[in-house]
Amino acid sequence: MSKQLIVDGTLVEVEDGITLLQACEQAGAEIPRFCYHERLSIAGNCRMCLVDVQGSPKPIASCAMGVNDLPPNKDGSPKIISTKSPMVKKAREGVMEFLLINHPLDCPICDQGGECDLQDQAQAYGRGGSRYTENKRAVEDKHLGPLIKTVMTRCIHCTRCVRYMTEVAGVEELGLIGRGEDAEITTYLEKGIMSEMSANVVDLCPVGALTHRPWAHNARPWELKATESVDVMDAVGSAITVNTRGRDVMRILPRNNDAVNEEWISDKTRHVADGLRTQRLDTPYVRVDGKLIAASWDEALAAVAAKLKAARPERIGVIAGDLAGAEELFALKDLCGRLGIKSIDCRQDGARFDPAMGRASYLFNTTIAGIEQADCILLVGTNPRLEGAVLNARILKRHKQGGLRVGLIGERVPLTYPYEYLGAGPETLAAVADGLKGGGSNGFATHLNAAKRPMVIVGPAATTRADGMAVLALAARVAQGASQGADENWNAFNALQTAASRVAGLDLGLVPDKGGLDVAGMVAASAKGALDVLFLLGADELALDKVGAQTFVVYQGSHGDVGAHRADVILPGAAYTEKAATYVNTEGRAQMTAKAAAAPGMAKEDWTILRALSALAGQTLPYDDITALRAAMYKAAPQLAPLGSVSGAGSIATLAGLSGQLAAGAFANPITDYYLTNPIARASSVMAEMSALKKNSAGANRDAAE
Amino acid sequence: MSIFSEIFSWWGGNTWGMRVTLWNQARFVGSDELGNKYYEQKKGIGEMGMPRRWVTYQDLADASKITADWHAWIHHMVDTPPTNEVYTPKSWQKPHKMNMTGTGEAYRPAGSILGSGHRPKATGDYKPWRPE
Repeated sequence: MSKQLIVDGTLVEVEDGITLLQACEQAGAEIPRFCYHERLSIAGNCRMCLVDVQGSPKPIASCAMGVNDLPPNKDGSPKIISTKSPMVKKAREGVMEFLLINHPLDCPICDQGGECDLQDQAQAYGRGGSRYTENKRAVEDKHLGPLIKTVMTRCIHCTRCVRYMTEVAGVEELGLIGRGEDAEITTYLEKGIMSEMSANVVDLCPVGALTHRPWAHNARPWELKATESVDVMDAVGSAITVNTRGRDVMRILPRNNDAVNEEWISDKTRHVADGLRTQRLDTPYVRVDGKLIAASWDEALAAVAAKLKAARPERIGVIAGDLAGAEELFALKDLCGRLGIKSIDCRQDGARFDPAMGRASYLFNTTIAGIEQADCILLVGTNPRLEGAVLNARILKRHKQGGLRVGLIGERVPLTYPYEYLGAGPETLAAVADGLKGGGSNGFATHLNAAKRPMVIVGPAATTRADGMAVLALAARVAQGASQGADENWNAFNALQTAASRVAGLDLGLVPDKGGLDVAGMVAASAKGALDVLFLLGADELALDKVGAQTFVVYQGSHGDVGAHRADVILPGAAYTEKAATYVNTEGRAQMTAKAAAAPGMAKEDWTILRALSALAGQTLPYDDITALRAAMYKAAPQLAPLGSVSGAGSIATLAGLSGQLAAGAFANPITDYYLTNPIARASSVMAEMSALKKNSAGANRDAAE
Repeated sequence: MSIFSEIFSWWGGNTWGMRVTLWNQARFVGSDELGNKYYEQKKGIGEMGMPRRWVTYQDLADASKITADWHAWIHHMVDTPPTNEVYTPKSWQKPHKMNMTGTGEAYRPAGSILGSGHRPKATGDYKPWRPE
């Protein structure tokens, strides 16, 4: 059913159940607002969205008034609404004057200046001057942790931050206390917010009350160049905007992408920006007599090529890290193929995914947007809060809609929604599988069986185990069993990846060939002296201390971390903001980053380094520019070509048909320090501060509990 | 300045022609703390419709050497020279100094490489990784 309205003289037909503000927007009228936000609940406390409704003696707050709640006209004619009448103009001026009574006019020293809703709307809808001569109130600043700077005198009490923390971040740590002039936003206990999604409140704040502390007073918005890109801190692939000044990334902000991150990003995604400025590899190094000496590109590449030529292919190992783009992964795989190298792996955390099992076996098949249709979710060996904070927010969103049941097998971790704790290890998963086989009459199997749209999410705690393949197969069987009677096109099996490069790596087949070694095998072979050359493409998170001394280690990457310390040759590459590279997120959605700034010093885009190396190694790769490389890559993996979309990945029948021996032992989440999971984050001082704070507060909580 | 250079050079200081003009037409009014001497036309008026005023500089001729107390008088803003009134500098006034641009003492703003000898932090800087 639809409803007819006359907005500013034009007749519009709007859907039932929407608010008057949305109806006016659909009619093309612009309604100013502070407290209203599409993704949050309606508060209706700023009063800026007042409109004039025929028959109503007073103006009406359009954000809180549904079109169905409007009293009908006696003759059944459409309601006449004006957003431009003198009464509306006067009402807006009045509201604006009230808001500005206690708002300090410190725009010149306010970080929100230039992107401030209050500034813009005061300009557009306010009176020319103030009639207020009394003293303004002042509010003490609150401590909200190292990410959020507060100047609470500027607050206009829209409560967007309070609603965000409760409804999206899922931690009830902010609230409004007091009434009228004494109203204040506070954390109650004066402690910093402990959430992985807290910094989004800064974007929501329509004034300068909450601003970013790490880049306070660093830049004005009009000095910055915005580049639309994709995040690589986790495998969710959040849409981001990289703001640069010159070659410096000044800040990273979220970008709207309804299919992935809506408009939120995690704190790590946002505040890793300062890590792009420290510990950078900006010149090639070659180890001479045990010391790394700065070298030219020619010397460094010649040293690597000589080693590659001298060593037998089976004594060469290649490991790709978590932040590598698909382009360099493809070039690396191609080069290895030409050199006959069989030991190549992109799963540095030891995950057991195998492309031979079909693409669906390592993807988040339900898709992130699909979570909103799920009615029963089984989490296996995962802590989605740390492994995909934005994805976890989507589960919370689904939970808020009601009728969602969540079960967890693995570590008992604090999630932002209630869940049934089922057990710690694969035995529990096997019990659920048995329950499903037996018609689903016991425990959680009953709910999975009854669910119309069930989901099984398998995380790294399950897949990185030695029996990871068996657990994956079991989870696939559970997903299949749960899908009995569910929708035809519903794929309940979901693998939650944690590395941005992983899906592209698996798509391109960066797994050991027959007779090749995987990551653990390469490290073990090196320790035994059976590996001559180890090539690391941004791989830092593995046991490099176990790599034998005689192994010649080549590290190609952007940051000086564990890998660079052990390396014999360092080839400086570009970080994700410095190259246009394809990343495939955990859903199998190919997305491309954009080059926002140039790589520092002599560093080059990664695929060009591999191309130059291939020429010196005597196996020249047949592409001279990125277009030719992408053409070859799309030929090898056509699923990487359509950017931004997800296509059906096929069935999980092969994976479910696999049998394997389950090992005993509980699932242990591999992410122990959320803020320090990759070389860029480890270079960031903000992330280091957050990590230390989290450790301290965990200690404090434990003390309090004892 | 020696008489010799006053006769044979015209750059940088007073010339002997100036000496003739002042002897002929001018009346000495006073001198400031830097040793600059100020003169006014004895009779008649100049092209601007008022008696001309001159200054001869101690050493190098540079208009920015005129001190604050004489500034208004030499620019015809006032008619009373500071010698005829009690002029006391404000407590916050620094001793007068000529414009030092082009000399070694020139002002270097914060952040100038010439000032500190090293380039200060700027946008686009990064900390490179160095092997220990």
